[in-house]
Amino acid sequence: MIKNILILCLAILTVPVAGQVTLSGIVTDAKGEPVPGANVLLLDTYDGTTSGNDGKFSFTTTEQGIQTLLVRFIGFKEFRQAIDLSKPQVGLVIILKEEINQLEAVTITAGAFAASDESRRTIFKALDIATTAGATADIAGALNTLPGTQKVGESGRLFVRGGDGNEARTFIDGMVVLDAYGPAASNTPSRGRFLPFMFKGTSFSTGGYSAEYGQALSSALVLDSKDEEQLTRTDIGVLSVGADVAHTHAWEKASWAGKIGYTNIRPYFNLINQEIDWEKAPVSVEGSSAYRQRVGDTGMFKVYGNFNHTNFSLYHHDIDDADSKTHIDLTNNFRYLNGSYKSALNDTWSVRTGISYTLTENKMKQGVLNLTDKDEGVHAKVVFDGSLSDKVELRTGTEVITRHYRAAVDTSSFTPGFDEVIVSGFAEADIYTSNKFVARAGGRMEYNNLLNRAYVDPRISLAYKTGKSGQVSLAYGKFRQSPNNEWLRWDNELDAEKADHYILNYQLIENNRTFRVETYYKTYNELIKFENGNSAALTNNGSGYARGVELFYRDNKTIRNADYWVSYSFLDTERDYLNTPYAVTPSFASAHNFSVVYKHFFSKLKSQVGATYSYTSGRPYNNPNEGRFNNSRTKSYQDLSVNISYLPKPYLIVYFSCTNLLGRDNIFGYEFSNTLNSEGVYNSRAIRQAAPRFVFLGMFITLSKNKSINQLPSL
Amino acid sequence: MKKLNIIPLILAAIGLIAWKATANDKYTENMQKNINAVYSAKSVEEIQTIVNAFERIGEAEKTKWEPFYYASYGYLMMAVQEKESSKKDAPLDLALKALEKAKAVNPAESEIVALEGFIHMIRVSVDPASRGQQYSGLAMQNFGKALGLNPNNPRALYLMAQMQYGTAQFFGSPTDEACGTLAKAIAAFDNTKPENPLSPAWGKNMALGMKENMCK
Repeated sequence: MIKNILILCLAILTVPVAGQVTLSGIVTDAKGEPVPGANVLLLDTYDGTTSGNDGKFSFTTTEQGIQTLLVRFIGFKEFRQAIDLSKPQVGLVIILKEEINQLEAVTITAGAFAASDESRRTIFKALDIATTAGATADIAGALNTLPGTQKVGESGRLFVRGGDGNEARTFIDGMVVLDAYGPAASNTPSRGRFLPFMFKGTSFSTGGYSAEYGQALSSALVLDSKDEEQLTRTDIGVLSVGADVAHTHAWEKASWAGKIGYTNIRPYFNLINQEIDWEKAPVSVEGSSAYRQRVGDTGMFKVYGNFNHTNFSLYHHDIDDADSKTHIDLTNNFRYLNGSYKSALNDTWSVRTGISYTLTENKMKQGVLNLTDKDEGVHAKVVFDGSLSDKVELRTGTEVITRHYRAAVDTSSFTPGFDEVIVSGFAEADIYTSNKFVARAGGRMEYNNLLNRAYVDPRISLAYKTGKSGQVSLAYGKFRQSPNNEWLRWDNELDAEKADHYILNYQLIENNRTFRVETYYKTYNELIKFENGNSAALTNNGSGYARGVELFYRDNKTIRNADYWVSYSFLDTERDYLNTPYAVTPSFASAHNFSVVYKHFFSKLKSQVGATYSYTSGRPYNNPNEGRFNNSRTKSYQDLSVNISYLPKPYLIVYFSCTNLLGRDNIFGYEFSNTLNSEGVYNSRAIRQAAPRFVFLGMFITLSKNKSINQLPSL
Repeated sequence: MKKLNIIPLILAAIGLIAWKATANDKYTENMQKNINAVYSAKSVEEIQTIVNAFERIGEAEKTKWEPFYYASYGYLMMAVQEKESSKKDAPLDLALKALEKAKAVNPAESEIVALEGFIHMIRVSVDPASRGQQYSGLAMQNFGKALGLNPNNPRALYLMAQMQYGTAQFFGSPTDEACGTLAKAIAAFDNTKPENPLSPAWGKNMALGMKENMCK
């Protein structure tokens, strides 16, 4: 009997219960077009199928009662519906709604050049910055080959769309850097303090940027530092101008990296004759350290610190009498500390918070005078990002920037300076109507203690996808930045300088080829101006405009193993500010900038060879022997730079670069004497490159367990 | 009376075992059918259909790592078949996403770790110049980790041989190390028996092909 019961029991358990039900229908998108390949299933069962080329599906199930029918396909929102299996379900029509997703959705590209290895839709990669010939691994140097920048060879800073070098601000992990460039003798280019290989993403905006970034009039350079390193390694660099050693230690969820470098350009300058009468050419010691820690599933904690000590001295010769010279000695100390934390709070919200500290101190001896100035700043910030729905993303935050600045001369007890506190809040929403259209609207409120006033600056951008690979973007925004330390220290009541940006952009990316065209109009207001030419009486009465058209084309498809890009910028700008008697084109602005960057990898030679050609049309300078102010033009600037990276062994790289290969005598402008000579004219002297060429040779060795790791990305 | 009291208990126990056995058979049977299909699938559409089936099984069987492992493998094959390099990333993202689900079930499975390395390896091919460093490092790290979990994982050995070969070729150095690893891989393919019918069994032909073309 037991046997019989058992058999019966097994039979019940193994034989499918009678009553198969058929489910069939069609899967379509919102427009009624069939969706093939969709997964159609009953939740928590094996039963289901894939929709065919016509979107139709049909399957049978032995499940009973009320079950959940689930349909999903990439690019669409999941479809769920309770379904009654007591009767056949035929002729089901399942309409999938489009999902707004990063891979497909339109992005705002007006004014923005993003370089990232993570996001694959960017035009630039971190490596591109490091391997651009002529840039000598300087971020600003590489960005100078992009449209929107004007090459100012004697400065080395970024000059964007008629703005001066102070109007482009650098942010690391969202935190401002007060002084992003190293010290340099007057009329010699300075280098950025931060090396490109530290960052996984670079976003270079030439206007119309997010409300998150304040205190930047013309441009925001937003750098995202790398997350934790995966591999323990030691890197050694032997350079023609110094040496550096770096060590990285990686743990399961954390990493620490430290680097120390010594740069001494003296032997090189002894070898190659320099235009500058150096007493002691620049020598610097630099150290940096970074710690990364993953916290929980989504948290990332980062600390980065950097110090630099640089010293040089030189003789400045009088224009009229070359034997009359002034001794100048400069020591610069720089410290930067940045801590940030990022984490998801829940499914909807995430938080980013950080604090940064910058100290920059200059001690200058000019003849018998001792001049010092010191700028100390703290920036604290907290930002919340929320995906309110798949169509609305909200970003809101608040920040405080405090700056303490003092200048001093040993002959006077007066110490001009300021203590500035800027408190600001911003909110910005990205609203998608579909994957084709997005609107970003927001504003930034800033309160400044020196003026005891608050301002609100609106920022708006729109982007529309015109086809599969083309899109149009529009942007408008108001921007403000406190006057330069040089002016604010004399008059604490000076208002911030202001700019309005209007940008229209079209971008087409197809098959590893990118084409971009952008046009803009900018107005400047409340620029600092000398009253009646007197630099002791400062006002906010200056103004100006800038407008232009820019083209960019990049192709890494047509020529095998090669990659090139071409940029052209046209700029028309005038400013009535500082000492100008009326609106003129400023000395740093050039009407035409053109550059071609070419990189070719020769696998047989194990080498990458790169070349960059840059052309900048003549820049204005003021010739006091002439009637009209700033009306003279230099001849054009041209430069052909080359670099070669050779990888003889997986862990060894030999790097060579040479700027201005053809040795062209580029002239950036002219200085004039303050007094008339015997013939009644002001004597002049050209501002030239310190040497026609800069030749650099380096050898980089990487020691790690995995021998195939090298420093290529850091070059 | 005593006898009667025990009967329901025995029935229940036997019933439970029987039910479990049939459920497992259903799992094995369905998986085997789809595993065979994914190995022989030719077109992207075909693979998509099979991947969908794996995902259905994976969602019903929350304690099994194999369904999402094979779903991931399917997406990886889609990426391999894609001719245009810029379009490989989308299926690779899906492959990684599916593999994450398998990993959540069994984080210490050597096969899962090796497949993750394989995904990184294909990532390199999209843009070797700017991705080579990061992703080949990650791939090698995964193969090393997979071999730590199972020193005789033939797929981890074969993939590692591929990476070593690529590096050696690039630098013009001897390929002895790569071919040595390949020999170990082929030995492992010959000597290790699959643990069960659902254990990954792909890769032997690829290894033999590599031997034929590169390590003769």
